Amino acid sequence: MFDYLANPSRFIRLSNRLFMPICIITVICLAYGLYLGLFSSPADYQQGDTVRIIYIHVPAAWLALFGYVGLGLCGLFYIVWRHPLADIAARAIAPVGAVFAFLTLITGALWGKPMWGAWWVWDARLTSMLILFFFYLGVIALANGFDRPERGSRPAALLAMVGVINVPIVKFSVDWWNTLHQPASLLRSGGPAIDSSMLTPLILMLIGAHGYFIIVVILRMRALLAERRLAAMRLRSGA
Amino acid sequence: MRPFIAQISRDLDIAWQNRQDVVVMLGFFIIIIALFPLAIGPKSAMLQSLGIPMIWIAALLSSLNGFDRLFAQDVRDGWLDQISLSALGLGWYAVAKAVSHWLTASLPLLLITPILALMLNIATTKLPALMTALLVGTMALTLLGIIGAALAEGARRSSALIAILVLPLAVPVLIFGALAAATDDGIISPHLMLLGAMLALLLAMAPLVAATALKIGETESGI
Repeated sequence: MFDYLANPSRFIRLSNRLFMPICIITVICLAYGLYLGLFSSPADYQQGDTVRIIYIHVPAAWLALFGYVGLGLCGLFYIVWRHPLADIAARAIAPVGAVFAFLTLITGALWGKPMWGAWWVWDARLTSMLILFFFYLGVIALANGFDRPERGSRPAALLAMVGVINVPIVKFSVDWWNTLHQPASLLRSGGPAIDSSMLTPLILMLIGAHGYFIIVVILRMRALLAERRLAAMRLRSGA
Repeated sequence: MRPFIAQISRDLDIAWQNRQDVVVMLGFFIIIIALFPLAIGPKSAMLQSLGIPMIWIAALLSSLNGFDRLFAQDVRDGWLDQISLSALGLGWYAVAKAVSHWLTASLPLLLITPILALMLNIATTKLPALMTALLVGTMALTLLGIIGAALAEGARRSSALIAILVLPLAVPVLIFGALAAATDDGIISPHLMLLGAMLALLLAMAPLVAATALKIGETESGI
C-alpha cells in the first residue's frame, strides 16, 4: 500500500476516486448533524443552549489530536522510509491541525465564560492543548525555516515525532489531574455518558468533521504536489 | 573517553577566548530579574512570593542564549564532518557540547543566583531547595536546547525558531522546577525527583535526537 502510493500520480488517481464519496458523506453528516445539534436536540438542563458549543468544540479537539498523530506518523514514515508523500502529507496536515487546535481553544473559551465564569483557566487540559498548538506552530516554522524548502522537511518530521509525547498528555490530562475541564464523555470505559439525543448529532458532527479534514488535506496535498511539479518543470526548462 | 574530554576542553578553550560573552549573558539574566520589581512594584511581600518564579523565568530565557550559534562554527569549518567520521560520533559530540555549554552558560548563572535571591527578599532557608532545583533544571534545559539547536541549524532567524521549538518542550521542567524550588518539604521533594526523572530521560534521548538532526543537516546541505 505504502509502496504503491509512493508514486504521486497513483496517489492523485486514488484520491480522485475517493474524493466525491467522502464529500457526499461529509456534507450529509455536517448538514444533518448541524440541524440536529442546533435545532432538534434538547438544551441541557443546567447549561441551557450553550451546550450546543459541544458540536463544534469536541470535533475540533478530536481533529487537533488526530491531526497531530497523523503528523507524527508522517514524520515516522518520512524519517524511516523516506516516503515521498509523507513530507507532502505532513506539510498539508500541519496548518489544518493548527487551525483546529486554535478553534478548540476559542470555542472552549466561549464555552468557559458562561459556564465557569472565566475565558481561560490554567488547568491541565487547557494548558496541554495550548502547548499542542505551539507544537503545531513549531513544526510549521521549522518546515519553512530554511532557504531551500525541502531542507526543513526532515528536521520538522523529527520534531513532529518528539511532540507526539504531548498527545496522551492532552487526552488523559482530565484523568491524571483534577481539572476544571470535565472528564471524557465519549471514549471512556463504560461507554459514552451522553444521552442519545445529544450523542447522535455529536457523532454525526465527528464523522463530518473528519471527512472535512480529509478533504482539505487531500486538496492541500494535490496543490503541494502540483507546486513541486511546476518547480521541477521550471528547472528542466531552465527558466 | 579521551576524544570526549578533548571536545569539551576545546569548547571551553573557545569559550575562554570569548569570555566576555559570559559577562553579557550574566548581564541579560540580571537585567531580566531587575526589571520584574520595576514592573510589579517594590513591595517586599509580593517579591517574596514571586521571586522564585521570576528567577525561573529569567533562567529559562537566558538558557536560550547562545544556542543559535552552538553548532554553526563547527558546521561551517568542517569540524562536524570530522566528528561524524571519528571515534567520538555525533551522539557523544552532542553530549560534550551540552556539558561545555552548561559549564559556560548555566554555571555562572547559578553562582550569581544567591545574590539575586537576596535582592528579591527570598528567605535564605529556601535557598538550598532553589539552588538544587535550578542545578537539575538548567541541565535539563541545556539538553532541550541542544535538540533545538541541532534541529534549527542552518535555518533563517534560528534564534527565534529555537525559542518556539524549545519553550513548549520546557514547560514540564518549568512547572516542576518552580514547584521544587518553592517547596517547604526540604531539598529532596517529590517535585525534585520528577525533575530528576526528566533530566534522566533527556540525558538518554536528547543526544540521540540531536545527533539525528545534525546528520540530517549534514547530508541535506551537501546536495
